[in-house]
Order: sequence, then structure tokens, then C-alpha cells
Amino acid sequence: MDLIKENILILTILLPLIGATLIFITPGYLDNLVKYIALIISFVTFIISILIFILYDINSGGVQLLWDWEWLSLKGAWPLGDKGITLNLGVDGISVMMVLLTGIVMFTGVMASWNIQNRSKDFFILYFLLLAGVFGVFVSYDMFFFFLFYELSVMPMFLLIGYWGSSSDFRTFSRTKEYAAMKLTLFLVAGSVLIWIAIIAIFVQAGLGSFNILEIQKVVDDKFPLNFQQINFFMIMIGFGILAGMWPFHTWSPDGHVSAPTSVSMVHAGVLMKLGAFGIIRIGMTLLPEGANSLMPLLMILGCINVIYGAFSALGQTDLKYVVGYSSVSHMGYVLMGLASMELLGFTGAVYQMFSHGIMTALFFLAVGAIYHSMHTRDTLILKGIFKKMPYISVFFVIAGLTSLGLPGLSGFAAEILIFLGVFKSYGSLGILFGSLAVIGAGITAIYILRLVSKVFFGVPDENKQNTNNNLDATRFENTAGIILVGLILFAGLYPLPFIDMITSGVTPILSNVLGGL
Amino acid sequence: MGINLTYIPPIICGVSFVLTALFARKVPLASSLISVFTILCSFILFIFILTDFLSSDLNSIKFSIDWIVVSDMRITWGILLDSLSVTMLGLITLVALLVQIYSISYMKGDSRFGWYFSVHSLFAAAMITVVLVDNLILLYFAWELVGLGSYLLIGFWYEKRAASEAAKKAFITTRIGDVALLIGIILIFKSTGTFDISSIFHIARNGGISENILTISTFLIFLGAMGKSAQFPFHVWLPDAMEGPTPVSALIHAATMVAAGVYLVARMMPLFSLAPYVLDFVVFIGLFTFIFAGTMAIVMHDIKRVLAYSTISHLGLMMMSLGFMGVASAIFHLIVHGISKALLFLGAGSLMHEMDGETDIRKMGGLINKMPITAITFIIGSVSLAGIIPLSGFFSKDEILLTVFEKGGILILLPALAGAFLSSLYMFRLTFITFFGSLKNDNSKVGESPILMTLPLILLALLAIFMSILLLEISTFKGFIYFISGHKAHLNLLLIVFSSILSFVALILAWFIYIKDSKYLIDWYKSKMKWNYNLILNKYYIDELYQYIINQIIIRFAQFVALFDRLVVNDIGVDRSSLSIRFLGLRLKLIQTGKMHGYAISMLFGFLILILTWAIL
Repeated sequence: MDLIKENILILTILLPLIGATLIFITPGYLDNLVKYIALIISFVTFIISILIFILYDINSGGVQLLWDWEWLSLKGAWPLGDKGITLNLGVDGISVMMVLLTGIVMFTGVMASWNIQNRSKDFFILYFLLLAGVFGVFVSYDMFFFFLFYELSVMPMFLLIGYWGSSSDFRTFSRTKEYAAMKLTLFLVAGSVLIWIAIIAIFVQAGLGSFNILEIQKVVDDKFPLNFQQINFFMIMIGFGILAGMWPFHTWSPDGHVSAPTSVSMVHAGVLMKLGAFGIIRIGMTLLPEGANSLMPLLMILGCINVIYGAFSALGQTDLKYVVGYSSVSHMGYVLMGLASMELLGFTGAVYQMFSHGIMTALFFLAVGAIYHSMHTRDTLILKGIFKKMPYISVFFVIAGLTSLGLPGLSGFAAEILIFLGVFKSYGSLGILFGSLAVIGAGITAIYILRLVSKVFFGVPDENKQNTNNNLDATRFENTAGIILVGLILFAGLYPLPFIDMITSGVTPILSNVLGGL
Repeated sequence: MGINLTYIPPIICGVSFVLTALFARKVPLASSLISVFTILCSFILFIFILTDFLSSDLNSIKFSIDWIVVSDMRITWGILLDSLSVTMLGLITLVALLVQIYSISYMKGDSRFGWYFSVHSLFAAAMITVVLVDNLILLYFAWELVGLGSYLLIGFWYEKRAASEAAKKAFITTRIGDVALLIGIILIFKSTGTFDISSIFHIARNGGISENILTISTFLIFLGAMGKSAQFPFHVWLPDAMEGPTPVSALIHAATMVAAGVYLVARMMPLFSLAPYVLDFVVFIGLFTFIFAGTMAIVMHDIKRVLAYSTISHLGLMMMSLGFMGVASAIFHLIVHGISKALLFLGAGSLMHEMDGETDIRKMGGLINKMPITAITFIIGSVSLAGIIPLSGFFSKDEILLTVFEKGGILILLPALAGAFLSSLYMFRLTFITFFGSLKNDNSKVGESPILMTLPLILLALLAIFMSILLLEISTFKGFIYFISGHKAHLNLLLIVFSSILSFVALILAWFIYIKDSKYLIDWYKSKMKWNYNLILNKYYIDELYQYIINQIIIRFAQFVALFDRLVVNDIGVDRSSLSIRFLGLRLKLIQTGKMHGYAISMLFGFLILILTWAIL
């Protein structure tokens, strides 16, 4: 047991890599074997992520389950230190939640990809590489590896969308999967350029010869002047903000969703967009607290635009995936607003929203993917009466929808209410304005979700227009995945206390750091 | 012992929801029985709680579970027990119990029989929580779930387009109010730092909330109440909500959920009383809705719509009473109206059950001989609501009119009396057209409904007659008005006589028009005032106006934003900038000629520039 406990964090990275290797050596024609290996590996990873949640001791807080391995020695290269580049792993309350989320989405995503026929072997190799990167980002406390894993999680996206995705023709325009994949990659690479510059600047300015975040954090006050912090936080904010779908750099996201296969959409919106917000917290707010402090109003405004603009854009769409894609943009706006509130309530809410939105949007894309798979269209003007044909999938979609419009009892409400409270409390009377806009955004969400539900799911199916397969409702695997996600949404909405405690323990030191810069 | 079990009813109803939702498909009958059983237990518990409450001075009980705790901000499930919440608990459990029993027979054979009952359980759990919880944010929590229950039940027959549209309309309309409500609650939190209702009152009384914030937040809270209680201009969803099964209309859209808005204002009265402008607004909205909805009730042909407009109108009356801080009279009318309206809706359901779902009163008539129990109980309900002495509806309406008279003076009383006259008139019109007159041919086979349906009708009718007993003093119980407000009720004989005369005039007028068939009055109205008749028949075109706003403004705007995002942000902002790089690349590659002398010359020039800049600097 101790052995597992000591090495549990590296397992989260190694397991997907082992999975990828195992699948690599499995012959491609053994399609089912590949999928079962993927299922088992992702299940074990899921269990590991739950174990991390259990093993983390909330009462003592801080960074726990530390693990390190020196990769490259820089001895003598830098005058002040000889730490080298070390793979430092550790988790705080925030990353525990993110690891749990990734475990869930990874496991359910494998189940949602069961009907991939075309080169499933290659698909799962890339899928696991992607997730190894995601886990790596969440558990790394070394900026070099943070960035390495970050890139590792972005690159497989290109192939996953470009090869397994689907091109769509709409009434007035079309989107090819190659276009979507290229746009996504270019956007994210542009973001990582900014991030990389900021990381190197921090590394040099700290002068420790180490990329270790915990080490650098100790010298922040001495070595980082305000000016330096502002410039670099701005770059971090934009660079990671692109990944978080921050307006006006969000357009890669809806197009990416529309073209991506189901499980990739799930991981993309469920976890990958969270990497952006997580990066702002882990590097931006931790290492550049004063910069964060002075630039947060900008983030608040951008987040607010995200919420309202995303909600209206979603209302104007006629494609199911675009609706869900823009709703992700809108919901990530809440995360940004919560971070920008610089209030414990808002910050906690933001992290909880990352978790809640991850589960919710995975459920959304699971349902939309299944609908597209059997109806061969996602056009909301054509689809009708799906409830009759696909009851399980429809229930999943409706529950995800209700979560996104902030229905109490589901996870979205618990998260959003904290964000609202935080935003209202911040910035004096301007906070009331921002907070009111955020609440109104939730109201607009209700309009587009309910219109969709009423139009697409209720009513009687139209047999002439809808191309339907015989095999209609969810498969066994999709059902299991959906039920797991629904159960989590309910649990997180009805009894958020354990999660909130976990998040608060991680958020409090970072926030006091940011506020201490005042 | 009863008082310490107050937390049981919402919990068992919630458990019943979970159980029945999971197994409703396989064992529909069992799920209906579980649901009825839990609500029965809740009702029995209510009786224990009531006796305990009356005999002791206890008004708070120790029960709290943390929901969210973030450092010093603590949101806790707790219970606030006072005369108001006990009363509401009684009304909710009683009506829900009777409606569920009725539904067993009414919904028999429906393909989603079990699901129907599980939503009922969800609704009961949420509604009971709304009236018991001691914390504004959790009140909002349950408040929204009540809305969900209503949404699911209105859209119960979701295959019907009208039903799914009505469900959507109800949810979105009330949601607009709820957005305001939530903002109001958070504003209060911002200045008090707590959600606990009694602490908020305490802080507000000591001047801990600035006057502006108090006015704005109570106004916003009232907007939420207007949404749920279907007050003008949010009233549009309630008539359409009649697309749901009729027992649902009886429970949710007449007796309980729509009363939640009235309850909320009554609960928050200590705050409202500190915001006089908002109280004036409450009076205005209440009075306007009272008359406005009454005019529509008088011309509708659909029995359920007449009842729906009547509900809106009576909710307006209650709001008006609250605007004058007459909490006790408003709540008393809430109960009496809830009982009577539930009776009327169940009666309408009984009619529809026997007439294959027919709701047009022009196709009914003379049904009193075919369905005596339904007819008699229905007449009792409408006579009570029309305010004929000595039924309970008379006393409750009179209490409100008295409050209005005492606090608002004659100028408000006169329009209120006009509204009361209207409400008598449309109730008698409905009764006369439906049950009297000649029997229509195709209705000759109609018979009485089964016992499970008539039994609740009889019980409710008895209550509608004898509810006014609550106003009397019985041993330690000093009358309902005292129970709620701590003041003794009093009477104004002149007002009683005057309003009675008014109701009788309405009765006689309706009798002349609809029984004696003196069509000339109606014909005169329809021909001379055609524009007015059409205006009212089309519900003042408010639905059309809203539809226009949604379709032409909001959706258009959303489509504009979506197009802007694609054409401007994406195509110009993103694609063009990528094209510009491509363009640059195409141009710059021309430099790479591969010819040595070109490179040599550019090197020379570059070198010269470097030297020159170095020399100048």
C-alpha cells in the first residue's frame, strides 16, 4: 500500500503510456482486444484518480504525495543553484479535483468510443497519449514538464480530429475536419508560444536554475518586480486563456467540437479546456500574484463577455454540437469570472465549475454523439421527437441541459452559486453589475436549452426526414458511461461538501498569495 | 414529539421520488402507491406537528445539515417553523394527498403512469421544502425544483406539441422572475453576509441594510414571486399550463406552486415592510392583475382556462392584501382559494374524464343530472369562490376587502369591489353554462366518475363550506387571523352587506344571461363593443407581443451574434490573419532567388545599415 501511495502520481502518467504501448503491440485486426485493453487501463486509471482523492489529506492541505526524479542536471550552468530539470510531481486540492475529473472523463470516453471502427488501434494510442499529457499537466510542479505535458496533450488532438473527425456541410457554409484540426492546433500553439516565453522569463528572472514551481514561489517577492509580473501574467493569461476558450480566441473550440469524434469532444471540452484555467492558476496566480492582482479586472470583463456572448451564440445555432460547443464557451466564462473575482467563494466556485462543467459537457457530447450516430444529422430544425426513439440518450441530454442552466440539485448550481456570490462580493458596485450579468447569462442558457429540448426531444418523430438505423438507443457502454456521469452530477449537486472542502484547501493559499500582493 | 419530525416529510417524499423514478417503468402501480403512501405519512405528520405546535411555544427546531461551507460562509439546511410554514405545510400535504388519490383513477391506463407519480413526489418534496426551509439560498434551491416539477408535469404528454411548448413557456417565464429573485437574494447576502431568514430580518430591523439595497432587493424578490404567482406581466404561462393532466392543474397551478409567490412575499414581509415603495408596487400589480385576469376569465370558452384566469385573478387579490401588509388575510384566502380551486379543477377533470377530454364549455350543459356528485361539489366550489355567504370563500375575500378598505381607503376599495364582482360573474357563468340548461345530444351517455375521483371532491367540498370555522376561536386557538398575525380579526358589517349584495347581483345577472338565455345583453356587447370583445378574447394580444419580442428581437439578436462570430471573429479575424501570413510568405519567398550576386548585394546593404546605425547611436 505504501508503495502505491508513494508512487501514485507517476502512475497516472505511466498508466496511459503503458496503455498506449500495450495497444501499440496488439495487432490491429484484434479490434475488440484493443478496446478491452483500453477499457481496463482507463478503468484502473479512474480507480487511481479516486485513490488520489482519498489519499489526499485535506486537514493538512498543501502539496502532497510528492514524487521526483531528476531528469537533466544543470549543475554549474547557473550560478545560484544546481537543481536541474526534475520531474516534480505533487497535488494540491485543485489538482486532486482535476485528476479525478480526468479519470472520469477518460474512462467514460473510452466507453463512448466503442463504435469506432476505423483504425481503432491508432485512435486509442493517440487517445492515451493525449491523456498522459493531461494527467501530467495536472500533477506537475515543474514548469518544464508542465509545458512538456501541455504540448503532449495538445498535439494528438490534431490527428484525432483530422483523421477520425467528420466534416459537416451546413446551409450556408461548411467546415472540414482538416480545417478544424488545423485551426485548433495553430491556436493552441500560438498560445503555447506566449506561455513558453513567460515560463522562460520566470525561470531566468528567478535565477534558481530550477523550473520547480514550489522553489520559485519562495522567491517571488524578492525577485519579481510588479512590471515583470504584469507583462508575464498578461502572456500567461492570453496563452492559457486561448485554451480555456477565452473571447475573442474561442473560435477554435466550437469548430473543433463539431468536427471531433464523440470521445475526443468529451475530453476536449471536458478536460482540455480546463487545462487553460488550471494553467492560469498554477503558473499565473501562483508565481505572478501581483500581476494577477492587477490584471484580474481585465479577465473579469473577458469572462463576462464569454458568458453572455457564448450564450447568445448558442441560442443562434441550429446544430446540436455548435449549441453545446458555444455553451462550453459560455460556461468557461464563469470559470474565468470566478477566478477574476479574487474572492474565496468565487475562486472555489470557479474550480468547482471546472469539475462540474467537465462532467456535464462530457455527458452532453456523449448524448449528442449517440444521436448523430443513429440519426446521421445534428440539425435541430430536422430532428424531432428523439425522446420516443432514444429514451436513455434523451434523459442524459436533458440532465446535462438542466445542469448547464443551473438547476439546483445538479452540480452546475452548486458551482455557479459560489461564483455568483464571489463576483457579487468583489469590485464593490461593479461586482453587482458583473454578477447580475452572470445570473442573466444563466437565464439565457435556460432559453436555449429548453428550446432545444422542446424542439428536438419532445414531439413525435418525423420518419420521412430522419434517417434512422434499427439500432437506436444507447449501447450498453454508452449507457454505463452516461449513468456514471449522471450519478456524479447528482452527487456533486446534492452533496458538494467533500469536493468543496477539497477545493478550498487548495485555493486558500493561492488566493492569500494573490491578495497578499496588495 | 411531532415538532421534531418536521424534516421527515420532504425527505420521505424525496426518497419516494428516487425510488419511483428508478422503478416506475417496471412497476407503475407500486410507484403510485409508494407516492400516495409517503404523502399520506406527510399529512399525518403534519397533524402531529400542528398539535405540538399549538400546545407549545417552540418555534424553531434543531436540525441542520451543511450543504456548502467555504471558510466562514455556511449554507445549511435548516427548518423555520412558525404559524405560516405550518399552515402552508398543511395545505400542501392535504391537497397533494387528495390529488394523488384522485390521480390513481384519473391517470389509469396512461403509458407513463408511474413517472407521473414520481414527479408528484418530487414536486411535493420541493414544495414542502420551500415553505419549511430557513435559508434564502436553499429556498431558491427548492423553488427551482418546484419549477422543474411543474415543467415535467405540464409537458407530461410531451408528444403533443402544445404541451411541450407550454412547459417551455412556463419554465422560461418563471425563470425570468427567478433570475431577478436570485440577484435579490445575493444582494441581501452582499450587505448582510448571511442567508438565514431570521438573521436577515434581525439585521434589517436594526438598519443593517441600506435603504436603496433594501428597496432594490425586495423589488427583485417580488419579481420572482410575480413569476411563480403568474402576476401581470408574467401571467402568460399559467393558462397554457393547462396542457398538463388536469389533476396537475389542481395541485400545482391552482393550489400550491402558484401560491409559492404569495408565500414568499408573506415570508419576507418584515423586509417588504421596510420598503414602502415596493409595497405600493405590490398593491398596484395585485389590483391590476385581479381585474385584468377577471376580464379574461369572463370570455374564455375552455373550462380550464376560465379557472386558470380565475386563479391569476385571485392571486392578484392575495398580492394586493400583502401590499397592505395583510399577511393573515392573504394566507387565509390562499388556503380557501387553494381548497376551492383544487375542487374546481378536480371537478373539471371529472367532467373531462367522462367526456373524452372535452374542455369547451359550449359543448357541455345540463350535466347536473348526469353527474350529480361532480356537479354539486363543483357548484359548491364556485359559489365559495364567488363569495356567497356563508361559504368560506366569502369570509376570506371579505377579510381582504376589509384590509384594503382600512389601509388603502375607498379609492382602492372600489376597483377591488369591481374585481370581486367580476370574479362572482365568471364563476356563475361557468357553472350555469356547464351544468344547467339543456343537455347536448352527444353527452347522453355520460355518467358519474369512479369513487376514487368523487371522494376527494366531496372532501374538498366539505372543506370549502366549513373552512371559515378556522376564523372562530376554539379553546386555545384564537382564530386563524390571530394565529398568523397575532391580531384579532374584526368585522365591518357595512362592507359585508355591500359585498354580499354585489355577489348576488352578479348571480342574478349571470342567471338572466346564461339560464334565461337573455342573449340581448351579450349580443349587444358583442356587436357594439366588438373590438373590446376581440381584444379580451385574444388575451389583450400579450402572448403575440411576447412571441414577437422573442422571435423578432431576442432570436434575431442571437442569430446576429452567431453570424458575427462566424463571419467577423472567425472568417475575418482568424482566417484572414492566417491568410495574411500566407500572403507574406508568398511574397517573402521571392527574396530567396538562389542567385549569389543578389545575396551579396543585400548583405552589403545590410552591413552598411548596421554600421550606420551604430555610428549614429
